[in-house]
Amino acid sequence: MKKKVASAMAVSAALSVFLAACGSNGDNGNGANASPSSSQPAASDASPSPSPSASAPASESASPEKAENFTVSLRHIQIGDAQKFRKAILDDVVKKTESEVPGLKFELDGVEDSVNRFTKLPAEMAAGNPPKIMDIFGGAGDTQKYAKAGRLLDLTPILDELGLKDKFLNVLEPFSVDGKVYGLPIGGNTEGIFYNTDIFAKYNLNPPTTWDDLIKAADTLKKNNVAPFAAGSKDAWVPNMLVNTLIGRIAGENTNSGFITGQSKWNSPDVVAAYQMIADWEKKGYYPKGELGKAYADMLTDFVAGKAGMMFDGSWRSSAFKDDAVGKDISGKVAFVSLPPIPNGKGNQTSVNANYGEGYGFSSDLNENELKAVKAFIKNMYSDEMQLRGLLEDGVLPSMKLSDESIAQVTDPVVKQVLDVLKNAGTTFPHFDSVVQSKVYTETETQLTKLIAGKATPQEVGNAIQKAQDAENAAAAK
Amino acid sequence: MRSTLKNPYVYLLFVLPTIALYFLFFIYPMLTSFYYGFTNWNGLDTKDYVGFANFANAFKDADFRHSILNNLIILLFSCCIQVPLIIVCSLLISGVKRLQGFYKTTVFMPSILSTSVIGILWGFIYDPDVGLLDKTLRSLGAPTIYWLADTNWALPAILITNAWQWMGFYIVLILAAILAIPREIDEAARIDGATGPQRAWYLTVPLIKPIINVVIMLSIAGALRVVDIVLVMTGGGPAGATDVMASYMVNKAIKYSDYGYGTALSIIIFAFALVLTALYQILFARRQERVEF
Amino acid sequence: MTPTLRKSIPHILMMAYVVVILAPFLFILFSSFKADNLAIALHPFGLPKKWEFENYREAWVKAKINVYFFNSLYLAFSSAVVGVLMAAATAFALVRMKFGRISAWIYQFVLIGMLIPGNVLFIAQYLLVQKLGILGTHWSLFLPYTAGALPFSVLLICAFMRSIPRELEEAAIVDGMNVLRMFGQIVLPLTVPALVTVFIVNFLGNWNEYLLSFFFISKDSLRTLPAGMVQFRDAFQTNYALICTGIVFSVLPVLVLYMFLQRKIIEGLTAGSIKG
Repeated sequence: MKKKVASAMAVSAALSVFLAACGSNGDNGNGANASPSSSQPAASDASPSPSPSASAPASESASPEKAENFTVSLRHIQIGDAQKFRKAILDDVVKKTESEVPGLKFELDGVEDSVNRFTKLPAEMAAGNPPKIMDIFGGAGDTQKYAKAGRLLDLTPILDELGLKDKFLNVLEPFSVDGKVYGLPIGGNTEGIFYNTDIFAKYNLNPPTTWDDLIKAADTLKKNNVAPFAAGSKDAWVPNMLVNTLIGRIAGENTNSGFITGQSKWNSPDVVAAYQMIADWEKKGYYPKGELGKAYADMLTDFVAGKAGMMFDGSWRSSAFKDDAVGKDISGKVAFVSLPPIPNGKGNQTSVNANYGEGYGFSSDLNENELKAVKAFIKNMYSDEMQLRGLLEDGVLPSMKLSDESIAQVTDPVVKQVLDVLKNAGTTFPHFDSVVQSKVYTETETQLTKLIAGKATPQEVGNAIQKAQDAENAAAAK
Repeated sequence: MRSTLKNPYVYLLFVLPTIALYFLFFIYPMLTSFYYGFTNWNGLDTKDYVGFANFANAFKDADFRHSILNNLIILLFSCCIQVPLIIVCSLLISGVKRLQGFYKTTVFMPSILSTSVIGILWGFIYDPDVGLLDKTLRSLGAPTIYWLADTNWALPAILITNAWQWMGFYIVLILAAILAIPREIDEAARIDGATGPQRAWYLTVPLIKPIINVVIMLSIAGALRVVDIVLVMTGGGPAGATDVMASYMVNKAIKYSDYGYGTALSIIIFAFALVLTALYQILFARRQERVEF
Repeated sequence: MTPTLRKSIPHILMMAYVVVILAPFLFILFSSFKADNLAIALHPFGLPKKWEFENYREAWVKAKINVYFFNSLYLAFSSAVVGVLMAAATAFALVRMKFGRISAWIYQFVLIGMLIPGNVLFIAQYLLVQKLGILGTHWSLFLPYTAGALPFSVLLICAFMRSIPRELEEAAIVDGMNVLRMFGQIVLPLTVPALVTVFIVNFLGNWNEYLLSFFFISKDSLRTLPAGMVQFRDAFQTNYALICTGIVFSVLPVLVLYMFLQRKIIEGLTAGSIKG
């Protein structure tokens, strides 16, 4: 037994050296391809330490003794074909970091987004053994809860050390507790309507930029046996995106952030009206049959196959319509708009949802080596270069301040439309999933599914969620 | 010479590891379940004693009541529909000479496969776009059924899959008992002019009653144990339509981090298992030799 | 009704049953060789127009079926072997050694375990392995698997040992053999049929176990086949051809084993359920 372990370790040591070697090569190649200009020098200018690539790890590696090998677990959610651009960026950061930190080998563990967020991480956090680096969401249900329980690493000193503190847009709030930062959003997005321009042209429809045009488009498509909206309601967070925007528009843009303070209520007439709209659309048949059996990936598949004319999705999906991506079949035939102004809505009807909700968090349980690895990972992942790559390759909006020249490099038409949507927005509001407690959020999913299945009325949905909200607010006040 | 078999050290050596492991992973968790079941532990910070609140909430919880109902539906389906079919099938197989081994091997096969793989396999068969079942039904002129997405069809879909996996197992069980019946009895009845079905009903079935009892007991236990297939195929959805007690419990504990409530639910499941087993023993099986569980 | 017709009715009915059992397997097998969902949707029943062996390479690499497979294999095997040996030793002590009353108590105590449905202990076991610091390691599966099989294994082996005549053991005692050697050289070999039965039941149970393996293990490199397959499906939800390939990979070894050992497996599993 002992012997086996020893030999396995020897092999893995050899392997990690080999991989590290490949890693640095591969990284150079990709980096050169992806960002031909500016980003690298920009990073070093901004950083107070003499040279960012040498900051944390290099100083330690100067020590004479041979580096011992160690692994750092890294939980990511970039699995499947649709995530491949994001995964490529992650892979490059991993390779680069491994080449910089002697002896480091990342152990990547890819888990599907909602499984990670709602099943794996909560359990691991409860157990006190989360991965050292993990994909994490901001807000009371995720980062803030875990930070309060002492599970997450306080990143404030690291941000100071790396000079990253002022590089971020004003997006760290959901990842902060008492002014300390526990997670870093990787990028941002807004949720809106993708529509198939070919199908709209075929049925002579105007782009869905006004409410009347949207409804007319939906009715026309329905009549012609094309699903107006593609759906992925088996994963309830997917229809929850539209719920969120409807609440922001119908009940007001401050509603979502008011649930935890008690200023807004889930069962108030305005919020119920938002759910009522979902129920009405269900009744009108705006969604394909069997939508509760369709997962998030199916939504894209149906949309790409032309089975649906529109889909309400996050702007991150824009990367799926590139020439070499899963949605290449309709590349160039997709446009993105925000939800048009809703008649009689109480909110600012130019407001859009903007999320900087997903990023990386780090376990508070780190030894010295692991801390080095984490620092190097942060330095490499949260760089101008990777932010720009995220925007250009993956259509993810930067969470850090990028120069106008960098942003001007965007050529992808859909990403440009996304940027336009945000530029034209009067104001923005967050997704409630980064605001409310996790039990409340889970309840919104449970109830929304019931609403879609016709097993609950909008009022019942509002009441049930508010009940969970009351319980959580009471518990938080204690 | 007796002392050889009275060596206490060897006795301890042989018994202690088993007792220790068994205690640690059976008895201790059972005891802690009772402890956690009376707290509101969320895995992270709070762990207060809450009395019977979890149990009271469980029975007020409409979703949990619905999952109890689903367990009972599964139970009734397996006892009232599967068991008769199982008996008929084993009688059919026992009556043939050619291909008997082939039938036995084939029907038994699904029960050695992993439930999770079977869940994935059948999820594909039920797929409304590319699945085998939809193609078959549509070629017969039936409309598309969104099996796992339809709150009315999802549970039947799971029942079918579950039956597909386990019926063969029980068939083989009963078949073995039928084949163990001495041939002479059957011969004698045949000479007396009894037809095949008559002999099966009046002769074979009474003789294999003990094993039928076993099958029913196993079906009851099985109906309360169903969880993998639900988690893999639907996760309890759509809208809780396929949630059973165990899947509801797992989701509550893991998704909501409600360990206190979750363990309370697990105690309720345990109570159900005990009561149903005891009830069946008392009501139906008392005249048979007691079946040990 | 002619006699031949009457004779063939059971065959017709059973053949229908057999088709229901086998059709899904054929469907999966054919689909695994097809290019994509479209190819499956267009010709669900037929052989593939073009055989896509590429799927197999892709699934083996992408789905890491090889990793899951060997994890399952060694976990299922080791915990079944350890469980059988522990149960055999305990059964021997309870049935053959002279500690009458204590043995009876212990026997009853262990049998209580059979009343507890496995999933009832799920949360508590989860918290337990977490407290023991073995959550996320193979120990968190090995120990519950081994422990979970004990009550039934002890019961079955006890029943079998009671039926072995005592003469051989008594002769061995007369020859001055000590109890450890007697157990190893005389009793164990005589008990082999029961041990094999118990081993098969435990092995298959561990091999197929999903709940613990899905929730107790989070590292991909440690996952077992049932949990790994579900993970794989979630990742490649829309590529059914690839998923089918994964299913073939995970089902085939068991079916091959079944082909060779079917009598023993059937005997073992059915005996397992009626407990001797």
